[in-house]
Amino acid sequence: MTHTHAILVVVTLGLCIPAAGAASTQTRAVSSAADPSDPLFDDAALHEIRLFVNARDWQTLKTNALENTYYPCDFHWEGQVVRNAGIRSRGNGSRSGTKPGLRLDFDRYSTEQTFLGLKSVVLRNNTQDPSNMHERLSMQLFRRLGLPAPREAYAALYVNNEYAGLYTIVESIDKHFLKRTFNENDGYLYKFESPVDAPPYYFNYLGPEPELYVPLPFKPETHENDARPEFIEQLARAISEPDRPSFRSTMAEFVDLEKFVRQVAVENFLADNDGILGKWGMNNFYLYRLENSTKFEFITWDRSEAFKGGSDYGILRNIADVSSWARNRLMDSAMNEKDLSDLYLDTLLACARSVTEIESGSSDDRGWFVREIMRQYGQISAAALADPVKPYSNDEFVGAVQDLLTFAASRSDFVQQEVSRLRRP
Amino acid sequence: MLKQLLVGAVITALVGGGADAEAFPMAAGERAVRAEAGAPAPSKVRKKKSKKKANKRAADQEQARGDVSDGVRAVWGKHPSIRYGSVFQVDLAATFMEDAHASDSRATELSRYDLHRNRVGVSGNVFKHIEFEVERELTTKAVEPGKLAKSPWKDALVNVSFVKNAQVQAGRFKIPFGLDELTGSSHNPFIYRSVGASSLSPGRDAGAMVHGRFLHRGLNYWAGVFDHDGDHSRSTHIAGADQTVAGRITGRPFRRFGANGVELGTAFAVSSLSDAASEPNGLRGQTVVTGDTFFRAVYVKGQRRRWETDLDWAAGPASVRAEYTWTTDDRLQQGLGNQNLPDVRARSWFVSGGWKLPVARKRAGTVELVGRVERMWFDSVKGQSADSPSRSPRAEQILPNGDRVLTVGVNWQVNRWIKLQVNAIREQVEDAERSPVSNGAPFWSKAVRLQLGI
Repeated sequence: MTHTHAILVVVTLGLCIPAAGAASTQTRAVSSAADPSDPLFDDAALHEIRLFVNARDWQTLKTNALENTYYPCDFHWEGQVVRNAGIRSRGNGSRSGTKPGLRLDFDRYSTEQTFLGLKSVVLRNNTQDPSNMHERLSMQLFRRLGLPAPREAYAALYVNNEYAGLYTIVESIDKHFLKRTFNENDGYLYKFESPVDAPPYYFNYLGPEPELYVPLPFKPETHENDARPEFIEQLARAISEPDRPSFRSTMAEFVDLEKFVRQVAVENFLADNDGILGKWGMNNFYLYRLENSTKFEFITWDRSEAFKGGSDYGILRNIADVSSWARNRLMDSAMNEKDLSDLYLDTLLACARSVTEIESGSSDDRGWFVREIMRQYGQISAAALADPVKPYSNDEFVGAVQDLLTFAASRSDFVQQEVSRLRRP
Repeated sequence: MLKQLLVGAVITALVGGGADAEAFPMAAGERAVRAEAGAPAPSKVRKKKSKKKANKRAADQEQARGDVSDGVRAVWGKHPSIRYGSVFQVDLAATFMEDAHASDSRATELSRYDLHRNRVGVSGNVFKHIEFEVERELTTKAVEPGKLAKSPWKDALVNVSFVKNAQVQAGRFKIPFGLDELTGSSHNPFIYRSVGASSLSPGRDAGAMVHGRFLHRGLNYWAGVFDHDGDHSRSTHIAGADQTVAGRITGRPFRRFGANGVELGTAFAVSSLSDAASEPNGLRGQTVVTGDTFFRAVYVKGQRRRWETDLDWAAGPASVRAEYTWTTDDRLQQGLGNQNLPDVRARSWFVSGGWKLPVARKRAGTVELVGRVERMWFDSVKGQSADSPSRSPRAEQILPNGDRVLTVGVNWQVNRWIKLQVNAIREQVEDAERSPVSNGAPFWSKAVRLQLGI
């Protein structure tokens, strides 16, 4: 299918691009006080970022894309310049020597240097997502449901004045994010990173030794020299040895179970098989222990696999359809609590309602999800089609957008039917 | 033969085992640079006397054992030795240095004990004027997987000395640069060399050198070409410079005025610098004991220039040494836009002193109190840019950083073979962000070294 034909197919679906402009005033679901970095994550437009890197460094970064070596660069955005920032290749499955995913640290060589209050951002290459939209749409849904998620916007990236492709600017999960989200940032932040050769981890109890949990699979992102792993060990112990009558009170010390269940429900609605209930064990989240507390918050991360499960992705996938050893211990216990399992289903319905929500006062009768897909398509199509290093064709890009529209058209109905079926006496 | 050597050792221990600090055997390679090539020694006058004594003792011992001067002989003088008249001589030497050290818990963790140096070597001559020396480390340190360990071979050289004023040396040995670097480790009054010697002086490399002495050692020179610029500028990540030309001259300008113990020296080294490797190829700065890198290598290309000047003064029980080193590296085409950047610069100095305490009994050995203050710092030559200084390896203006070090210590030369050193070292990295200790606070390290040498 040619690019022109593909666009025509989209248009024939009745989802014309001009309508996207009308939806561009979509407000953010999670309101927050004005942040100096808001303009960088303003998702109303395609941004332009220019990096100036020594040509040899850029080539070396691509050649050694599996390494985390930093290289100095100058960062230009909207007429503002950050000198002597640092970039490195990043990602797991998305690592690429052709179109490298980048971590950009403004403070790499000057600890006090920030940009709009940020120490770093991620430039996601979306090499695993031909539509380029999985990540951003997912994070928007999390925020619409009132769950913490990083801010994101699209950017056309130029390196040494050469177009280097379409990227997504992703807010780093760091102290700035914590402050903005939890109004505090001196707690203990961990990124879940399961070692490549380790068996899948389902929040089972690994043993009393703290080193079984930190620095892997829970990699400290703050307080690196005093990561206090004992609290994670206590959390895992509390999860895996539930004394049924006291489960709720015990867990209340560690986790807001309602919030956790809602987060898992959103992941499921997004048909994402690589999250907390991932097929290969837990993945793609941060854990934050609040200041002076034993309570942990889950923060979602990397939703490039979202939507790939399809619109008929089972609402109890990896909950009821796997053997007990492959079930997430925390979710398994939570689902044994009637109110929590109800909350799980209610959140799925809330997702369904949210994505089909019609903009009030508008003649546009499309749901939020479709409107958003088309708005983003309008933003990025030219940049995506012109992307010289994307690992997929233009037809595949357009096809992936069509797949998203198909998902948007049927996911809500499927979820609602499944919830009704489960609740039927 | 072995029996003769053992008997010789026992006799030497009984007869000549008294304290003789200057007779403590050097590592073979260091002796080649210092004694044979004439590198500065802290107190040569006293050493000469000691050497005579040692030779006399060796001769006496030979006599006692009833050796004859004809044919192959086994001799234990300063070292076990095999000789055949004046046709050839092979000396065996071994040096063992075992360290115990500890530092601030916030710095890089150290193993409590370190087999610092376990070297064996042979040296000697053929027809007196063709001298050779080979020295090897017995223990090697582990390196990261995929990275190459440093060569266990230290000195491996041949020196032709038919003309004392123009001897020719080839092989692998120390590039003639730096008083502290050229002083043998077993003769150094401190456990660790100065930070400047460890980071800025080149160290060993393969090459060829002509050297000689004039005016009864009142004037000495060395000049050579080398494959690279020594092992101090290389690491598992840093390629180091390429072809190097180096020269050194020392002299005793005040000898006529009765100050024979004052020796002045100066040296230079010029190397070509490539940026062929993907990682930065500049010099780096590391803390003394813990080896924390407080200045990371930056991207360089062009030429590396080193210059140093030094003073070595011994008078009675007192000794003073000082050295100033200056290096610059070109940074051609190393900017983000491939533009030239201002040179990166490293400088260091140290002043050290020692005082040998009077001893009541000779067999108790000699005790020396020592102290050293030093500083090494890195920055860049001022350029045209108004940029703020940065720690970026391609910064126009490099944010300076340095290390200030104070070392105090006691050396106890128990006898010819055994030496005990105790050092306390206070360090402070000037840029708190790059200090191994939070807030850039000063931190102490302590070290004890036991040296055994035959």
